[in-house]
Amino acid sequence: MSELVPQEDSARVEEVSRGAEGKVYLAPCQIACPLGEDIQRSHAMLALLPLDPEEAARQIIKIGDEIYEKNPLFPVCSYICGLCERQCNYRDETGAVRRRMLVRLVADRYLKYLDTAPTLPTPDKEKVAVIGSGPGGLMCAYELSKRGYRVTILERSRELGGALRLIPRYRIPRGVIDSVISSLLRIAHIEVRLGAEIGGVGKRLDDIKKEGYQAIFLATGTPVGRLLTIDGKPVDNVDLEGVTFGLNLLYEVNQGIASPRFYRSKKVIVVGGGNVAFDVARTARRLGGEVTLVCLENEDRSSRNGIPADEDEVEGATQEGIRVVYSRGVVEIIGESGKFRKIKCPRCTSVFDEDGGFNPRFDHDDVVYLDGDVLLVTIGQEQDRTVYEQEGLLGEGGKLEVDEITLMSNLKEGVFIGGDVRRIGFAAEAMWDGLNAAESIDRYIRGENLTAGRKKEYQDAPVLSNAYYKPQPPLVWVPAEERLNFEPFEEAFTLEQVVEEARRCLCCGPCKSCKGCVAAGLQPVLPGITYDEELCINCGDCAYYCPCDAISFRSPHGVSFDMTLCRGCGLCAAVCPAMAIELENWERARISGAITEAVSEMKRPGILVFLCQWTVLPHLDKKINPNVGIIDVPCAARVEGIHILEALQQGFGGILIIACPEEDCHRQTGSREAQRSIEALDNRLSQIGLQDRVGFCTVTPRHQEEFDRELERFNRKIESIGSKESR
Amino acid sequence: MIVTTLKPLDEVLGFILPYSDILVVGCDGCNQPPRGLREASTLSQLLDLAGKSRGKVFNFKMTTVGKQCDDYMAASVLKPQIGNAEAVLSLACGLGVQTLAKVFPELPVFPAQNTHFMGAEDRDDGILEMRCAGCGDCLLAVTGGICPVARCPKGLLNGACGGAKDDKCELSPEKDCAWVLIYNILKRQGKLDLLKGYRPPRDYQLTGWKIPT
Ligand SMILES: Cc1cc2nc3c(=O)[nH]c(=O)nc-3n(C[C@H](O)[C@H](O)[C@H](O)COP(=O)(O)OP(=O)(O)OC[C@H]3O[C@@H](n4cnc5c(N)ncnc54)[C@H](O)[C@@H]3O)c2cc1C
Ligand code: SF4
Ligand code: SF4
Ligand code: SF4
Ligand code: SF4
Ligand code: SF4
Repeated sequence: MSELVPQEDSARVEEVSRGAEGKVYLAPCQIACPLGEDIQRSHAMLALLPLDPEEAARQIIKIGDEIYEKNPLFPVCSYICGLCERQCNYRDETGAVRRRMLVRLVADRYLKYLDTAPTLPTPDKEKVAVIGSGPGGLMCAYELSKRGYRVTILERSRELGGALRLIPRYRIPRGVIDSVISSLLRIAHIEVRLGAEIGGVGKRLDDIKKEGYQAIFLATGTPVGRLLTIDGKPVDNVDLEGVTFGLNLLYEVNQGIASPRFYRSKKVIVVGGGNVAFDVARTARRLGGEVTLVCLENEDRSSRNGIPADEDEVEGATQEGIRVVYSRGVVEIIGESGKFRKIKCPRCTSVFDEDGGFNPRFDHDDVVYLDGDVLLVTIGQEQDRTVYEQEGLLGEGGKLEVDEITLMSNLKEGVFIGGDVRRIGFAAEAMWDGLNAAESIDRYIRGENLTAGRKKEYQDAPVLSNAYYKPQPPLVWVPAEERLNFEPFEEAFTLEQVVEEARRCLCCGPCKSCKGCVAAGLQPVLPGITYDEELCINCGDCAYYCPCDAISFRSPHGVSFDMTLCRGCGLCAAVCPAMAIELENWERARISGAITEAVSEMKRPGILVFLCQWTVLPHLDKKINPNVGIIDVPCAARVEGIHILEALQQGFGGILIIACPEEDCHRQTGSREAQRSIEALDNRLSQIGLQDRVGFCTVTPRHQEEFDRELERFNRKIESIGSKESR
Repeated sequence: MIVTTLKPLDEVLGFILPYSDILVVGCDGCNQPPRGLREASTLSQLLDLAGKSRGKVFNFKMTTVGKQCDDYMAASVLKPQIGNAEAVLSLACGLGVQTLAKVFPELPVFPAQNTHFMGAEDRDDGILEMRCAGCGDCLLAVTGGICPVARCPKGLLNGACGGAKDDKCELSPEKDCAWVLIYNILKRQGKLDLLKGYRPPRDYQLTGWKIPT
């Protein structure tokens, strides 16, 4: 209720742990996000965006600020990530909440603001060198700068961004990467040296240390294409004209070296079944090629030998006319007068052995030959080992010797290694390494223990048992025939679609690690529960009705509330027959007080509306409706019969309870339970000739016109009762 | 628990209309649905509204008791609160109403509810069902925890009548045949031989109506 003023502090996210092992309890999407974005919170905030466009715009920037804090590359991630979506509780029901598209809208608006966003305080602590400017290096630099260190990035190429620069433009516009990186450098006061190769003929690590850098983070990625092999030996003829690595093509296209019709009327064969191979195939197709992609894996992505590329990639590529040949390996590259001609492809019977090791087996009696003019090998990337060999960072078997937790080299103090070079993965994972390395470097420079308290264990929060799964909105792509160019073809969501999609999120994790509603200004603090054990009569109703399974029985008497599960709907307080429960900020007495206040503000009390805050409607302008009072409630289920009757006793002609539609209810059962209890009350009122004084209706969130219509209809009903009575 | 339903309000209003100061007493004991302080409050408010529309002003006082059917408890809790009440409205089962009538012999005590049976709650089906007839000779040990006295309309003690259709009772097809339920559960527990024993006819004297405490 309005007299409570939100406090910044009360909106701060807290970590919640559960169970004897004290595992951190979170929505699975958040556990999946390597950067720990407060996913649920931002979804709640988007779902609660105010109707006023200016207010909404401010709120979006605030959401952007919060995400930026944790992930300064989030606009990039909104095009190329989506790791969280893979773990969304919704995924196997009607499809994951499209976080990536939600963040895209935030990013699109935030990017404009980012150019002028304030900088961090100028760092003045020790100097740290970061080698490589991919996502890993950038993240590490940002985090160190936040912690006050002076960071220099040494990048051998002429451009920052690492492998991000290889991602085709139809997936992410170049401008987004440029803008994010230049802002990052500005905001975090990061110094950059381009064309600064470390190792080889370039500087050694000792040279860098001599320049006063106290620690070094190596995030040099995997810039080298992997060679085709058969039985552990390289396949011959890779030097034929027309044979190259797919990565080279991506580089040349993004650098503008390859002409737009590079592969016009050429037959292009791409080898590989991963996402990068699909990037290459779709790029080649956009250059006019007739493209065939060959991979070892089969079509059934759920099987052990299934294709690793994302479903969307395969689908998109197929639409674009790319032929995918599954379950074939390449054992021979055949040329003619120095030019590539064809490959020999036996059927692949299995890709991985029992232990999951890569060990393809072939049926050499089932062989096909594929003809082509160009062969693009895209079967993986590897490290450039020069630096690591020179600096003695490789252990036995030529493997990097890195501590899993601290990311410090086991062989050289003060040298930290992370990102794809350590373990190939996604951009966000490389960033996680960067973050982790920054933590270690901070501790290292301060002479603290590098490992203490760093390993955290997590437990997935499940969805509410009554969850209502709304269908997933489709991604809209420009039709295949119109998208064979380098313009992005995935349509962004509109603001309305974003709010709608954010509302689909079930907010699986605990309120304390969310507080989205508090941050959005819906309530001043997360409400607690007051439970008076002496009043409790052990009826069990609270436990039965709680939509969040937050209440359990204590033996031999009473109940207990698990505040990591409670969502503050107040249903328990409303059903308890003994009135043993109160919801903080919505105590019975406070609601009664609000009713009295509403009466006192009116000349002639007309209608009192109890409005669920999750309907996100602006406060009614009292001047327009002088006879309507509104009391906000955290959930329609919080409304008690007692309060409705009190309002009637105080002279209101009618009471309208407005909830969200059942499928939109933030507590899943709140709307339904409210309706049930109001119908029961209406039934009792009709026994004493006061039928139709209490109304229940649902209003689609943010739909002011529905609200107006319902209020108008109810008003007419109450007026007609009034005129009947006066007759 | 004792299963009760609220009486129609006009009936209750009829009881109390001659009086003004009324003590409304909930029962926190076994009645289901629970009728504690909340219901005492809600009921008073409804009656207040009903009274006002008929030009009558009541003065309600609301309270509740652990269990109204205990005369000692009821007296100890309620006597100090009775004040100048002219009538008492009870939200307990018939037992509570009668106990209050005994505790306040000089006042009229009215039932706000109808009392139905000893029943159990099935939350998922949303029903309260009579499951015990208070026969005084509990058979549940040999009938798999299902009472044929209460749940078989014929009260058969030695197996099904043979008229069940699709496992439903021939007298009330909406009900499961109690003996089919008994058979199934004993089969599941591998105790079908329990059915071989003979159970003599019910001794109605055992039901009794008074037991020393
Ligand atoms: C085509 C393609 C598509 C991809 N698509 C996605 C996607 O959709 N989603 C996703 O999450 N991930 C994607 N990835 C993976 C993602 O780009 C990488 O995981 C991420 O970039 C790794 O970051 P990093 O910082 O470890 O290394 P990189 O990004 O590889 O950066 C390493 C940097 O170090 C520099 N460097 C190397 N050696 C030296 C040296 N000796 N001295 C100085 N500098 C050096 C390099 O020039 C480079 O700039 C894709 C990768 C590719 C190639
Ligand atoms: S429904 Fe929302 S909170 Fe739950 S896993 Fe999915 S995105 Fe996360
Ligand atoms: S009620 Fe809980 S889950 Fe919902 S927005 Fe608020 S804090 Fe988040
Ligand atoms: S407020 Fe709602 S979620 Fe919290 S314990 Fe009560 S019923 Fe459960
Ligand atoms: S609803 Fe009230 S009386 Fe019943 S168990 Fe819960 S706290 Fe106790
Ligand atoms: S008065 Fe009736 S409802 Fe109350 S405890 Fe006794 S038997 Fe149960």
